[in-house]
Amino acid sequence: MDLRSDKIAISFNLNGDDTAVAVAPFDSLARVLRDELGQTGTKIGCDAGDCGACTIIMNDAQVCSCLIAAAQADGAEITTIEAGDHNHWLAKLQHAFLAHGAAQCGICTPGMMMAACNLLMKNASPGRQEISDSLSGVLCRCTGYQKILDAVES
Amino acid sequence: MAKYYRPSTLREALDQRAKYPLKVLAGGTDVIPMHTTHSAWHGSTPPDIVDISAISELRQIDEEDDQWRLGALTTWSQLIDANLPGYFDGIKLIAKEIGGRQIQNRATIAGNLCNASPAADGVPGLLALESKVELTSSSNVRTMPLHEFLTGNRQTRLEADEIMTAILIPKLTGGARSHFLKLGARRYLVISIVMGAAVLVPDEHGDITDARISIGSCSAVARRIPLLEERLIGLPINGSLGHVVASDQFDHLEPIDDIRASAAYRRSVAVSLTTEMLDQLANRSVQRVS
Repeated sequence: MDLRSDKIAISFNLNGDDTAVAVAPFDSLARVLRDELGQTGTKIGCDAGDCGACTIIMNDAQVCSCLIAAAQADGAEITTIEAGDHNHWLAKLQHAFLAHGAAQCGICTPGMMMAACNLLMKNASPGRQEISDSLSGVLCRCTGYQKILDAVES
Repeated sequence: MAKYYRPSTLREALDQRAKYPLKVLAGGTDVIPMHTTHSAWHGSTPPDIVDISAISELRQIDEEDDQWRLGALTTWSQLIDANLPGYFDGIKLIAKEIGGRQIQNRATIAGNLCNASPAADGVPGLLALESKVELTSSSNVRTMPLHEFLTGNRQTRLEADEIMTAILIPKLTGGARSHFLKLGARRYLVISIVMGAAVLVPDEHGDITDARISIGSCSAVARRIPLLEERLIGLPINGSLGHVVASDQFDHLEPIDDIRASAAYRRSVAVSLTTEMLDQLANRSVQRVS
């Protein structure tokens, strides 16, 4: 049984909405998003920062949400895959991923799209190597990566 | 119930650390997965934590008269983007190859050093820069060379009431160059099999006056290679350097057999990686980072 510390109140901006939630401070943001806030688009793969499936954008940087202690999300600006429709880059990436067949099982797809979104926010026309480096922290066991890179490049 | 403190000042953090045994949490890229793994196998309560990630005074990079001061919470991404002289190129290459982008955005230099894995990427580069670390408690501030701070596999001289507050890097002349190579099973999200860092300082004629070579993942703590460093002194920095590398210069390394590689392979790669690294450095075929 995992005895948690007393819960604390945190608040952060989630996909444009101010959100308040009571959390165990050392619980991961990935779990808080999924279990407390019902935002299950963010996937937990390794829960150790080794696969990137849980990638979100926090304060303009792509991070593994499994490596953020909930207390550290207080006051942050968080974007998850659920921002899909109203985020300019995520909407485009959705179409591109579909058009290029860039998802097979889909477990890495939210992480890949968040990493790509973060890159495009900073550089709207990256070269293929830069795309590859920016997505370097998300592992895919299905696609062999090429179609994902094609989708982002397009 | 587990304690969790998240102070916004260093003073508060040090006061807490002086009162209780607390695990320091910064970027979380080592502390969190260690707990997650342990908890998955054994079921455990969270550790008592002092989370220093909100202490903004620890995030600065400052130039001082004789040294560069990197705040303990400097992330690898911050380092990549910082305007730093050419002898930081090796450290910037380290920063670009640690984990993946997400890790680089969160992991801190001090965390890498305090975790003190034998495969800590920051260590060879910072040893080659002859870095010092600043350790602060509520009653004292002290500095020591990095090679004294690291005492073994995940062992350091950090006291229970101390927090590492800065990494101090002595300034070098403008012509000094640095490089870093890492061998892993893949390019990113990998713990190195062998890695090497080099810093070469030329005089005004282009002859090497100071050479620092450090090899990591081949001993409990990354080691300098003094026999090679001696051979490099006096050689022209733009000349052919790889040929002075010899395997007996690496005899003091103590690589182990583990899931990533055998000790024998590591010994062999240490020599070839160092040769490659020096040849690249001499030919200026290293791409300037940012």
